[in-house]
Amino acid sequence: MSRGKPKVREAREGPAPDGTTHLRIDPSICDGVGICSHLAPDLITLDSWGYPILDTHAVPRGRALRQAEAAVAACPKKALFLQHL
Amino acid sequence: MSVDAGAPEIAPSQMRGILGAEVAIVSRDDTELLTGVRRHDLVTHRSEFGAHPGTVVGLTARLLDDLGAVALTGRGGGHFPAAVKWRSVAAAGTGGAVVVNGAEGEPGSAKDATLLQTRPHLVLDGLVAAINAVQAVEGVVWLHEGAEATTGSVTLAIRERVAAGEPDPPIRVVLAPSRYLSGEATSIIRTLEGGPTLPRFVANPAQPWSDGYPTVLVNNTETMARAAVVAARGAENYEPTSLLTVISRGYRRVVEVPHTVTIGQVVAEHWADMPHGAPSAVLLGGYGGSWVSWSDIASLPVDIGALRSAGLSIGAGLIGPLPSQACGIEEASRLVRYLADQSARQCGPCVFGLAAVAELCDDLTAGKLSPSGRKKLDQFMAEISGRGACRHPDGAIRMLTSALQVFADDVSVHRKGRTCGARVYGIMPLPGEGT
Repeated sequence: MSRGKPKVREAREGPAPDGTTHLRIDPSICDGVGICSHLAPDLITLDSWGYPILDTHAVPRGRALRQAEAAVAACPKKALFLQHL
Repeated sequence: MSVDAGAPEIAPSQMRGILGAEVAIVSRDDTELLTGVRRHDLVTHRSEFGAHPGTVVGLTARLLDDLGAVALTGRGGGHFPAAVKWRSVAAAGTGGAVVVNGAEGEPGSAKDATLLQTRPHLVLDGLVAAINAVQAVEGVVWLHEGAEATTGSVTLAIRERVAAGEPDPPIRVVLAPSRYLSGEATSIIRTLEGGPTLPRFVANPAQPWSDGYPTVLVNNTETMARAAVVAARGAENYEPTSLLTVISRGYRRVVEVPHTVTIGQVVAEHWADMPHGAPSAVLLGGYGGSWVSWSDIASLPVDIGALRSAGLSIGAGLIGPLPSQACGIEEASRLVRYLADQSARQCGPCVFGLAAVAELCDDLTAGKLSPSGRKKLDQFMAEISGRGACRHPDGAIRMLTSALQVFADDVSVHRKGRTCGARVYGIMPLPGEGT
């Protein structure tokens, strides 16, 4: 287990399980701090008001997943999370 | 079992339905003053709709199948299949609550108030049938605080049932703050869990309650009344109808129509301005719905499937015709401002995005929107959709997107540094504006 490994929330229902991992956000918690877009530039851009726009596709393993994990770990509001389907 | 294909057309005169041929007249900004439909007391209700659902042998076993067979969808606006939702809650566990959502947040709509004030026992029968079907332990009637006539009718109905010794599970009335988003399903669930009455983000839409909390099934008032009709009459005798609220400048009408009727026929019969000419367009579904030009919408039936094929939804059943003397873009801008103000102020894209869009819409109607401002408006609209915890911002953007298309002529007049000079304002009612 690497340091600061983000907690993963399991989806019990909803989208069909297909073994993919998705980067998600609770927008009601997010304060638009913006660190995430620096740590995960391949997956996150900021909108006109500084709030993150997430790539909705499955996060590929490797570089993108490492970026996603870093962004989740760094979010001061804990608004970002990874969802395994 | 299916009643979709080949079902005999129902002439409105033969329709039994929920309201039947009765038409409710409701004031523009207040559902407290409602006339035209007689209230069913418990005795009348039982003679029209039969025995208490708890006493019908085999009902729980067949009801879920019957809801699927008649393809009942959520009439709060989302039109999610009721049978799928009920099954999902039943599968998640027993012992929770079922909520009938009567906090009619859609400011133009009055159908739920009409049902609760005139057919309260039908709604409560649906609630009881749902409690039994998903094996919940209690029922909640969720109403806006200040909706005194509606609350009075529901509490009287509960007293009538207790006095008659009807086998109801525990049912309580819960009053919500009188705001647009109080009727959002996650606002309700959050409140029942002891939290604030605000929408919340759910990672898994099939399980909108929090881990460790009891299951909650939330259905709109009309959905619940329709479930009661299916329970009472069976899928094969269920008449596919919809309750609609038609907005005129002096009052609103709530009517029940079979799905073969066209929107043109509904407007011709129930819109007060029709003798002065057809509307230029109709706002369909709700304030987060779509504007459609009169020529495109008049021949479309009220049928949910037919509207979906045309990329439209009957939503919460709102029909808002725009008089031809009114300016569509001014009306749409007014609604965008209202929706922006009604943000729950939780999600950045909604709080800041809708406010920015409303600002640009004000510039547009004032004839002050530059070409770069127009580009900015398009960019903001594209950025906001799908990014709130609830669908509130999506609805506002959908409505504005349709307005910019349907009222393209009005837009070009306003963009040339002028205004359109329309003499008619404020067609759609907004809370607190008076009539």
